[in-house]
This record gives sequence, C-alpha cells and structure tokens, in this order.
Amino acid sequence: MSLAWFLQNLVNGLSIGSVYAVFALGYTLVFSVLGILNFAHGAVFTLGAYLTYVLAVGEFGLNGLLAGMTLPFKLPFALALLAGALLSGLAGVAVEHLAFRPLRKRGADALLALVSSLGVALILVNLIQYLFGAEIYSFPSDVLGTLPPAVILHVGEGLVAMRTIQVVLFGVSLLLLIGLAWFIQFTKQGKALRAVAENPDTASLLGISVDAFILGTFFISGLLGGLSGTLIGVSFGLSGPYFGVAYGLKALAVIVLGGLGSIPGAVLGGLVIGLAEAFLPPDMSSFKEAVPYALLFIVLLVRPQGLLGKNAEEKV
Amino acid sequence: MLELKGVTLAYGPVTAVHEATLRVAQGEIVTLIGANGAGKTTILRAVSRLIKPKSGAITFEGRDITGLSPDKVVRLGLAHCPEGRQVLALQSVRDNLELGAYIRSDTAGIRQDLDMVFGLFPRLRERAAQLAGTLSGGEQQMLAIGRALMCRPRLLLLDEPSLGLAPIIAQEIFHIIANLNQQGMTILLVEQNAHMAMRTAHRAYVLEAGLIVAQGDAKALAGDERVRKAYLG
Repeated sequence: MSLAWFLQNLVNGLSIGSVYAVFALGYTLVFSVLGILNFAHGAVFTLGAYLTYVLAVGEFGLNGLLAGMTLPFKLPFALALLAGALLSGLAGVAVEHLAFRPLRKRGADALLALVSSLGVALILVNLIQYLFGAEIYSFPSDVLGTLPPAVILHVGEGLVAMRTIQVVLFGVSLLLLIGLAWFIQFTKQGKALRAVAENPDTASLLGISVDAFILGTFFISGLLGGLSGTLIGVSFGLSGPYFGVAYGLKALAVIVLGGLGSIPGAVLGGLVIGLAEAFLPPDMSSFKEAVPYALLFIVLLVRPQGLLGKNAEEKV
Repeated sequence: MLELKGVTLAYGPVTAVHEATLRVAQGEIVTLIGANGAGKTTILRAVSRLIKPKSGAITFEGRDITGLSPDKVVRLGLAHCPEGRQVLALQSVRDNLELGAYIRSDTAGIRQDLDMVFGLFPRLRERAAQLAGTLSGGEQQMLAIGRALMCRPRLLLLDEPSLGLAPIIAQEIFHIIANLNQQGMTILLVEQNAHMAMRTAHRAYVLEAGLIVAQGDAKALAGDERVRKAYLG
C-alpha cells in the first residue's frame, strides 16, 4: 500500500477511465438530443479501431475478403487516428440515416429506433468480420514511432511506470473532453445544440435546423466512438470484430452510473469505473469485468438517478 | 403579408381546422379568437410549419411557404412565440435572447436589439444571468416575446401571451403588444382572453370547432350579438 502503488493504480485508472469517458460521451450526446440509446455505438467503436489500424499499418490481416491486401501508403499514427476518427464520424452519420431518420420522419415510437440501431450494429459487426476477418489484430509496438514505450518514475522506495500509450490515452481524451465541454457550454452552435436537446420544436422556431444538429451530433458521437476504439485497440489489441461489444456494455454502465443524459456524469462515471478497475487487488483480477456492474448496482441502490443525474421529474 | 387559402389541418384522422382562409396585412394586429380546442394554436403551428397542412396554401409576402421547414420560415422574417412560452429553461435569460438571434450574424445589431429588448422588459435585464426556468410566468412570457423579437421579424405570431398570467401583468403584455405594433410590427395574435384581444386588434377572426365563423373589424365584431354572447360574456 505504498505511495508508488497508489500512484501506479491512479495512472492506470485515469488513462483507461478517460477513454471510457470519451466513449460513453458518444452515447450521452445522442441520448440527450433524441432520448434514445444508439446501440450501434459499440460497432462504430470497433470500426474506428480497424480503420485506424489499416491506415497506420497499411495492410490487412490473413482472413476476410480483404486478406493480404496492402494500401499504397502508411499514415503516421497521429494522422491515422484523426482520419480513422473522421471516418467513424461518417459511419455515425450513416447510422443516423439508416436506423434513426426514417423512423423519426414517420413519428415512430423511440423504442423502435433502439431496435433498428441494434440491427445496424449487427450489420456493421458482420461487415467488419467479412472484410477484415475474425482474427486478432495487434498494433505493432513501434506504432507510436520513436517514442520510448514508458517513462519510469522513482517514488520513494517504489517505481511508477507511465506507459507512453497511457499518456496518449489520457492526453487525447482530456483534450477532447475539454474541447467538447467548451463547445457545448460557450459557443453559439453549442447553445443551439442544447436548445435542440431541450425542446426541438422551440429550437426550430428560432431558426435552428434540428435535422442538421441531429446529424452533427451523430457525427461527433461516431468520432468519439471510433477514437476511443482506436485508443483501446492500441493499448490492448483488437480481439476481433466483437471487440466493441464488451466495451459498449461497459460504457452503458458508465452512463447509467454517471446519470443518463448528463455529460459531466459520463465523464465522472468513466473515471470512477476506470479507477475502480485499476484499484482492484491483483488476487481478485478475475473479477475485473464484473467491477463496473457491481459498482453500478451499489450506486443505483443509493442514487437511482446515477451520480450526477437529475430526478426524473426534473429531467427535460 | 400573410395569407392562408383553404387550409385544412389534421392530426392523424382528426380534422382540427377546416378550410381556413385568412389574411394579415402589413401593419395590422389581427386576432384569432375562439374557445379552447377551436384550432387557433393549430393554425399558428401550420404557419410556422410545425405541422403540415392536408390541403391549401400558405403564402408569406407573396411567397408560398407551404413546403418549407420551420427554420427556413424564420429566416424569411416570421417569428412564432409559442403557447406556454417554451423558454429554454436550462439556459440563461441572455442565452435565450441570443438564441433568438440565431439566424443573424451581425454582432453589433444583435447587441443593439438586446438592449432594445432589455429596454422593453427591464426585468429581463436584472435577471439576464439567471436560468430561464427560474423566472416567474410573466417574466417567462416577456422573455418569449423578447426572444421572438431578436430575429427582427416582420410578422410576429403570438400564441396566448396572457395565458396563466395575473390580470395586471397580462395588461402590461398587451400594452407592449400595442406599442410594438405602433412601431410597425405586424402581429397575428391568438387569444382566449377575447376582451383584451379585441381591444388591441384591428381585425378579428372567430374560430369555432375548426371553422372560421365570423370575421371583420375588431370593434364591429365586438358589438356583434353572437360573438358577445359566446366569447365576451
């Protein structure tokens, strides 16, 4: 229980927790505008990781339709991450067009869109498997270029290892979270987005194009999903086309824990679950996957609206 | 300025307004009165395109707006101050007003109009930083009207501006409506408070169960026996 032990877990928890927060925010944004969970978000997460992998490494795996093919170029990791994220944003837009817009235009029950987003998720995951194969993809260890793999800090008697990828995870996530918070809180378009979330009819009476903002929300949500998929993929490898499913469920636990529809809640929830996983004693590590749900269970017993959620009657 | 020709409106299979024909000329206050559920709000919602007419045509300044989306209609100069005020409760008074000017990008002009609205409703200036949801009903109504003015409309649609307000505050609101009109604003006013509406308006339409049953000069109509019995008590 030394200081070094504490700091090491803090580093581990914050880096993975910040990515959970970014991923969970993708759910939250769509939820706060449409009031529906987008179940295709986990599939976009997977897609983003695969796209970035191919752009950074320049070749496909040994299975799937595209097996053995190579790209004529390889992007540096930062560019591949950006391009992969933008393409994921477009995937988010496609999800909106396929799963949400047609139902919304017919005034269908919101629950139906939840089901159709699940359908789009299945199509996406199977498309990934068809194209990329079902094998494990691992980013090469030199993907971050000439950066050292880790920085070792001496703290008292012990050592704290900060892996470079952990710094990247935390840094990119933090930048995104701050940028997004600033956009939503202070810019004209951010305020318009909040108006759409609060009352679409009123927003449209102010001259705000509700459809355009919904589309933009799906773009940002997809971008956040693809980016977090890549970051986790670089850190732990891509365990196959279903790699996003487990993380998708975990992110759902994050947003419910933080308070459904609350942006600060999603961030707090992500950090809490990341830290809880990191501080789990080593001899209990086989329970790691259960941590988010156990935590969720306990919090919901005490605060059914989640950590930062509002009471149902106060929610707009 | 605004013209509806044979506009029929329906919610699903239920017809709410049957072949409504009305017009609002430049500089007028026209009021639409009638009982609860007569279809007054429905007509306003059709003008600002929140609902699509089943048949008929709506033109604004000679331009057919029947196929436009709501945000496009605002850009033509038509502001709708909806029933129940519908302020953005989770944003500040100032942000509400600035969002009223969403379609504009002339920063200096927006600041000027913000001052104009604060001059019109001094209480909004005092509460500029407060969340709109914390305002009283009357203040929210002022905010809703102020917000609609922020897009510099040529035609203002007002839906039940006196609803749920204390009589003295309702009077204040009507006073401001008359003032706005004197400064050149054209207004289409929907009201349950037929007394005040008829006193403020130039012309009136009386709506009964989705049908326009009477129309004409507001003062003449206020003297009409049938209208008096039904709406003025």
